[in-house]
Amino acid sequence: MSIPTLDIQDLKLGFKGYTGYAEVLHGISLSVAPGERVALVGESGSGKSVTARIVLGLLQELRTARISGSVRFEGKELDRLTKRERHALRGRAMSMIFQDPTSSLNPVFRIGEQFHDVLRRADAKITREAALERAASILAEVSVRDADRVLNAFPFQLSGGLNQRVMIAMALANEPALLIADEPGTALDVTVQAQTLQLMRKLVEEHHTAVLFISHNLGVVREFADRVYVIYKGRIVEQGPTRAVFEGPRHPYTRALMAAVPRLTGGGIPDIEENSPDFGAPIEIHPDEVQT
Amino acid sequence: MNPLARLLAKRLATSLIVLIGVSMLIFAIARIIPGDPARIALGPNATQEQIANLRADLHLDDNIAVQYGYFIADVARGDLGISLYTNRPVTADIALYLPATLELVLVAGILMVGIGLPLGIWSARWRGRAADNVIRLISLLGVSAPSFVWAVILMLLFAFYLPLFPIAGRISDSYAIAPVTGFLLVDTLIHGDVRAFGNAAWHIILPAFALSLSGIGQAARLTRANMVETYDKPYIEMAQSYGFSARRIANRYAFRPSLIPSLTIIGLDFAAMLGNAFLVEAIFAWPGLSRYGVAVILRKDLNAIVGTVLIISATFLLVNIIVDLLIALLNPRIRYSQRPA
Repeated sequence: MSIPTLDIQDLKLGFKGYTGYAEVLHGISLSVAPGERVALVGESGSGKSVTARIVLGLLQELRTARISGSVRFEGKELDRLTKRERHALRGRAMSMIFQDPTSSLNPVFRIGEQFHDVLRRADAKITREAALERAASILAEVSVRDADRVLNAFPFQLSGGLNQRVMIAMALANEPALLIADEPGTALDVTVQAQTLQLMRKLVEEHHTAVLFISHNLGVVREFADRVYVIYKGRIVEQGPTRAVFEGPRHPYTRALMAAVPRLTGGGIPDIEENSPDFGAPIEIHPDEVQT
Repeated sequence: MNPLARLLAKRLATSLIVLIGVSMLIFAIARIIPGDPARIALGPNATQEQIANLRADLHLDDNIAVQYGYFIADVARGDLGISLYTNRPVTADIALYLPATLELVLVAGILMVGIGLPLGIWSARWRGRAADNVIRLISLLGVSAPSFVWAVILMLLFAFYLPLFPIAGRISDSYAIAPVTGFLLVDTLIHGDVRAFGNAAWHIILPAFALSLSGIGQAARLTRANMVETYDKPYIEMAQSYGFSARRIANRYAFRPSLIPSLTIIGLDFAAMLGNAFLVEAIFAWPGLSRYGVAVILRKDLNAIVGTVLIISATFLLVNIIVDLLIALLNPRIRYSQRPA
């Protein structure tokens, strides 16, 4: 088997505050193979986003964070890399897409300038003209037709959907091996979110980019991911191929999560316990599907 | 119409209204203060007839609205009247004294922006660390004492106990610089006299620094506060996730959006230095508008009082217009807004 793009083993995270120590991740393990799309699903506060930020190395800079366990990126233990080496991965070998595209782009710089900065991460000497040209060609891949107008605009002049496409294009501009998508497009309306996710899917397939997809939206996850990890209160409670998990959820929490999906046919908000001793049950692992 | 041009036109129009209001106010106040300007100007030995003549010349016996009418008619011709104190046109006096004050305030403003903003940026970038605490302490010190107190302290420390800087004046007497612009730092360079320039710069450092200290503190504190808030914005996290250097994020991604709210206050502080300059000038015997202003107020020299106040108000308004334009330039939302800003 090839080396996984991302391999997390027994990752623990805690924060030291004024009142004491609070553990947020209680030892989670997950892996993403090259070109694989993996979803990390869970409710708010379950530890999805902090996991992503640890992979990027952003949380490590927080002095109150205590992190243990192993995070390997393409076989390299992130902890053993120097600060400079870890820094070099960001924006080049891995990149990230955020929840709200419009507030994730800097309001006082033109899209083109921000693109230039992103491209400079891979090629420090790239000229403005070359950067804009390259940006236009990537924007074309996410079906942005009038790239010149977009590159010349400020984020507030563009629609949320257009900004989301810009974010996707930026994230993939340097051909990263791993893309982390933290609830992409949650701030957008459902149709625009669906469109942009489709574009993202098309792009990562073409570029063979591995994706760690973080979401609470089961419908989107089912469409997008090859494999799913369900996370609850800092623990992985169920994992397996998307189809297996969705068709035969075994863990009580996964079942509750799926029951919570609102249905078009109505029936109101399902009555789900906020907490249940069952949710603490041990992890359920579905076997990988045999490739045929 | 270009939004910037529209903004400029609008600000100029409102400034004119403010100036007219200020002129009415100061015109009335100057005349309400007790004391007969004619009697003060002519001295104790003047006859009743001389006083009556001068009062008639100054239209002092007319209704105040009529007096204001005469005044506005003169102003429209660019004439602020004759100063009873110097016996010269007020405009000539102001042209003589204003450059010294403006020079002092401009240098202080450059110090405020040039030192205050970088301090604020560093402070925000190293928030919570030792450097931040030191900068915050310094800024707090700066804002907690008025500039004339700093003027005295700096003078004692660096001109008296440790005589590094001259104690008073704009330039040493040995240099005779023919005025061109009235700004010594410019005139010396125009005459190609580098040593005179150095001497003038040496003279301006202490007063300008004293004048700017509270502004430096204020600029640093504001910049820090706005940037710390900006650091929590998603676009900063995105910049970090792309691996931009901490320095670039601070100087560019966090600073630019934070500068916009700071700039209004910095502009006001800058304009306020015009007023504070009066006391600093008095302490450092700086031959600027303050001496003239104080002298004419004490002598109830009506034309000179009104002229001095008007010119300071106009400078204040001008600074505000410049700041507004700068903000519009920095903030694309205003620049491209179709709505009036």
